Amino acid sequence: MDLALQDIRRHLGKFGATIVGVGLLLAIVLTMNGIYRGQISDGLWLIDQVGADLWVVERGRGGPFNEPSKIPEDVWRSVSAVPGVKRAGPFITYTVEREVAGKSQQFTIIGYDQRAGLGGPGRIVQGRAPREPHYEVVADRKIGLAIGDGVRLGNETFTVVGLTKGAVDLGGNPLMYLTLADAQDVLYVQDNEALRSQRASSLRTIEAQGYSPAQAQKMLSLQTSDRHSMSAALVELEDGVNPEAVADHIESWLYLNAFTTEEERELMIRGRLVRMTATIGLFRVLLVIVSIVMISLIVYVLTMEKVKVIATLKLIGAPNWVIGRMILEQSLLLTLPACGLGYLLISLGIGWFPRTLVLLPSDTLITFAVMFAGGVLASLLGIWQAMKTPESLALGG
Amino acid sequence: MQLADVAPASTEVLRIQGLRKVFGAGEQQVVALDGIDFSLKPGELMALLGPSGSGKTTLLLCISMILEPSAGAITVNGIESYRDGWTRGLDARRFRRQNVGFIFQGHNLVPFLTVLDNVALPMVLTGLGQRQARARAAELLCYLEVDHRARVLPATLSGGEQQRVAIARALANDPKLILADEPTASLDSERGFKVIGLLKKIARERGAAVITVTHDERMIEGFDTIRRMKDGRFAPSPIAP
Repeated sequence: MDLALQDIRRHLGKFGATIVGVGLLLAIVLTMNGIYRGQISDGLWLIDQVGADLWVVERGRGGPFNEPSKIPEDVWRSVSAVPGVKRAGPFITYTVEREVAGKSQQFTIIGYDQRAGLGGPGRIVQGRAPREPHYEVVADRKIGLAIGDGVRLGNETFTVVGLTKGAVDLGGNPLMYLTLADAQDVLYVQDNEALRSQRASSLRTIEAQGYSPAQAQKMLSLQTSDRHSMSAALVELEDGVNPEAVADHIESWLYLNAFTTEEERELMIRGRLVRMTATIGLFRVLLVIVSIVMISLIVYVLTMEKVKVIATLKLIGAPNWVIGRMILEQSLLLTLPACGLGYLLISLGIGWFPRTLVLLPSDTLITFAVMFAGGVLASLLGIWQAMKTPESLALGG
Repeated sequence: MQLADVAPASTEVLRIQGLRKVFGAGEQQVVALDGIDFSLKPGELMALLGPSGSGKTTLLLCISMILEPSAGAITVNGIESYRDGWTRGLDARRFRRQNVGFIFQGHNLVPFLTVLDNVALPMVLTGLGQRQARARAAELLCYLEVDHRARVLPATLSGGEQQRVAIARALANDPKLILADEPTASLDSERGFKVIGLLKKIARERGAAVITVTHDERMIEGFDTIRRMKDGRFAPSPIAP
């Protein structure tokens, strides 16, 4: 005669509701785990996917992701000539907010040189990589575009020729790949009205300094901004070459900063990711603590509700193990299905979540183990309380 | 082998000699039982009367190995449970399972077990198989005329029915001693008389000695022995039934 099962059978609604509640709580904990890992994964995805041996950026900058880096476009050709470099390519990255696929959304544009073969989209799940020098893009599916769709960026309309899946920047924004020239145009070329307005403003500033309108017109042409810049040069080294040595060479001779992939990852982890993950990590820990407290309290209350039954059982001669088993079994029958439900919910919902969720089996197992331990601990407290319950409590009214 | 397994050699179900129970020490000392001596034969019905705090429940707790006496000796069903200390090797719960049946004022049925399982539980705890335990429980419920409610939960029973089920549970392991603590307190007079009638029937037909603690003197008619307690002592001589 299983007392725990009999109790559950008689209070199926209450017990079921408790399992659903705890299961939802566990799903939230698993979601936080997933967000935490997802942030790290997103933050490192682009670095890992590009797979460059060296990232060459503006001198004194920790770019191109942690802070803006702007270097002349032709630097990548100089870098190509450094001994030990197999090939190099330009790379530009920036985040935009545009009306795309019927809604305003934020995404990151990556500009690269197709001929250099570095920095482009990795695995294309549908379509192809850009072949033409202009007006072709590869977009991540998350943006909501389809092959053949037109995208208005800056003054031009681009055609989607390929789609990626899971290509995101460190903030989880989807990526859109353009050729370098197109990416530079989208970044620097203003629309006609804005250009006219800026020219008029600049002319007024020059004329205010005592120049004639004709002189001001001539001087204005000198102020034209240079569009031929990029965020970084990507480098692939020849086999067997020491990356640190090549990086030192580039830093000394080209007056730039060069990071190995490992250093770039470290910059990302210790720089932008550290605060983001620390915040989520804190929430994660707090949520786990709250969950353990809740599970413990539920198990404890379930035991305390039965204190008179326990006293009666002791009085009619039930051994301690019968009472202990009843409490422990109920705790397990609460936590195990709740863990299962939590896992089911997160598994079903992972595809619908707006951010990248990465569920590591080790994280899930540790979370369940901690919850399970909390439940067992609470059961032990309950059992201890039950052992202390005097039989005499069953006597009297 | 546990002492509780030893077959009784005595014709007495219960013998108590010089029982004393003192709570606290020094000025805080309270003498709950003092010099209690009595014995019960199989089938004997004893009523224990007295105001609250007179020591009635303390006496039941000492007999059932829940409260350790301060001095004296207790022998139940031939097993000496106490003589200036608990008998070594005697497991109190096992002792109770096998020798003592309890009937409580508040019935104390396990609310999540059916009536049948409530009665079967003490037998299962003793090691009887579930099927056998349930079969015997059904017999007991039939004996107490509440077998038609075997499959329902205790909460759906009337107070009188619950007390009948509690009596059936007390009889589950066929104990030779039944301790009833105010068994009629939560019942109206009619149901109270019926419960007392059942206890008399059990004593008569099954040979169990019954000690009933009660406040209600109307209920003690027909009892073999009536003891009145005050300040932990029995009145000088048993009251004539």
